[in-house]
Order: sequence, then structure tokens, then C-alpha cells
Amino acid sequence: MTPDHFFLLAILLFSIGLIGIVSRRNLFVVYMSIELMLSSVNLVLAIFSRLHGDMHGSVIALLLIAVIAAEAALFLAMIVHLYRLKRTLDSDAFRLLAQKDSK
Amino acid sequence: MLENSIFVLLALFLLLGSAGMVGFKQTLFSAISFMMAMLALAGMFALLDNSFLFLAQIMVSVGAVVVLSLLVIVSVNVKEENLPKEPAKFRWMLFAVVLVAPLAIVIYKALTYMPHTWAKTGEGYGSLKMMGMTLFKDWVLPFEIVSVLLLAAMVGAIVIARKEPSNDA
Repeated sequence: MTPDHFFLLAILLFSIGLIGIVSRRNLFVVYMSIELMLSSVNLVLAIFSRLHGDMHGSVIALLLIAVIAAEAALFLAMIVHLYRLKRTLDSDAFRLLAQKDSK
Repeated sequence: MLENSIFVLLALFLLLGSAGMVGFKQTLFSAISFMMAMLALAGMFALLDNSFLFLAQIMVSVGAVVVLSLLVIVSVNVKEENLPKEPAKFRWMLFAVVLVAPLAIVIYKALTYMPHTWAKTGEGYGSLKMMGMTLFKDWVLPFEIVSVLLLAAMVGAIVIARKEPSNDA
């Protein structure tokens, strides 16, 4: 259980989150992937806090948890709004801001 | 020795949960896998001697965020045939792995390049008292800014999710 293992784990989590964002079209899965990436950053902060032996990293992680909660509230409200607009969860269906000539 | 086996077990749950979250077609299964991953992450905080962060993770990430997403998923209630069609899902995933792997390797090299051994932690590391002392001595301004952010997010969420009567036509 060295720091390397923890770092490897955090990076794997971040990568899985990024893969989810790139490859899935379900809005909920995209949202949860973003949450996963934020949480992996949280894990890195906790590891650094433990490495240095002081609490500053943990405090940043605690503040980041609050940011994650705010992000979740906004994202879920947005999903409800988007679903009400088009009755779909497909992220490809929402091209309100796309250029005119792209399909 | 015990710590090592707990670490391996938690890491297994964490990776399986997040992989399931990305892989499942049904949204509800994804959310439940995500809850598993978040619980395992809380266990990781406990392994890092951060007892308060462990509690906060369980209370906020699992108790509030994941349960709220489950509630929204259940209330939106999309039928299986109305889920987005993703015929080339696994091909896209392979593509994403190829895309992400170099980045992950570079970040891993950078992180492990730094000098890293566990510091000797004093008495009360990770306790609520130490956390509060650090938070209110050195991090008061970010704490207040976060409270304003939460208020703004709450108002914004209400405004976004509100049903506008003129929008139905």
C-alpha cells in the first residue's frame, strides 16, 4: 500500500470518467462520469494531505465535496429541463448551439 | 497486511463500480454501480487516516448526490427502448482508451516522480478538531465562497428546473 498504488488508482478513476464522457451518449452517464473525475481529484488531494502530514489537502477536498454537490444539483436540474424539452436523454439530440450547416 | 488486503478489496470495488457505471446500458444500474464506487472511495479516505473526509464523503456524495440522482432517474423513468441508441458503444470506448492512455501515463509518471513517502502523522491527524482548526484558521475565505456558490447553485437549479407555462406550445 504505497502512495504509487493510490496514485495509480486515482488516475484509473479519472481515465474511466473521461472514457465515459467520450464514449457514452446517455446524459445521466455523462453526468456521473464528470462526478467520478471530480472524485478522483478528491482522492489525489487526500493522498497529498496524507503525504505531507498536514490537513490542508483534506480541507481542499472537503470544499471540493461541496462543489461536487453544487454541480450535481445544477446538472440534474439541467437534465430534467432538457428531458422536458425533447423527451430524450440522447446527448446528440441537443444541438441548439451547433452551427447551422452541421446536419 | 490487513490494510493491504482492505486496499485491494476497496480498489476492486472502486474499479468495478466505475467500469459498470460506464458500461451498463440501463441508467439505474449505472447509478447503483456509481453508488458502489462512491462508497469504496469513502473507504479509501478512511485508509488514508482521514476520518472526517470519510464521513463527509458518505454523507454528501452517497447520501445526497447519488440518492438525488437515483430519485431523478426514477422520476424521469425512461423506458428501455427510449434510451439513446448506442450501437458502436464499445468501439467508441476502445477509441477513448487509446486516446486517454498516453495522458494517464504522463500524469502517473509526473505524480510518482515527486518524492513520496508517507509522512509521520502526529496525534489527531484527520480528526474533526484538526480539520476544524485548519478550516477556520487558513481556509475561511474559500469556505465562505463555497457557501455563496452553494446558494447560487440552489437558486439556479430551481430556476432551471421550473416549468415555464409559455414554453409548452
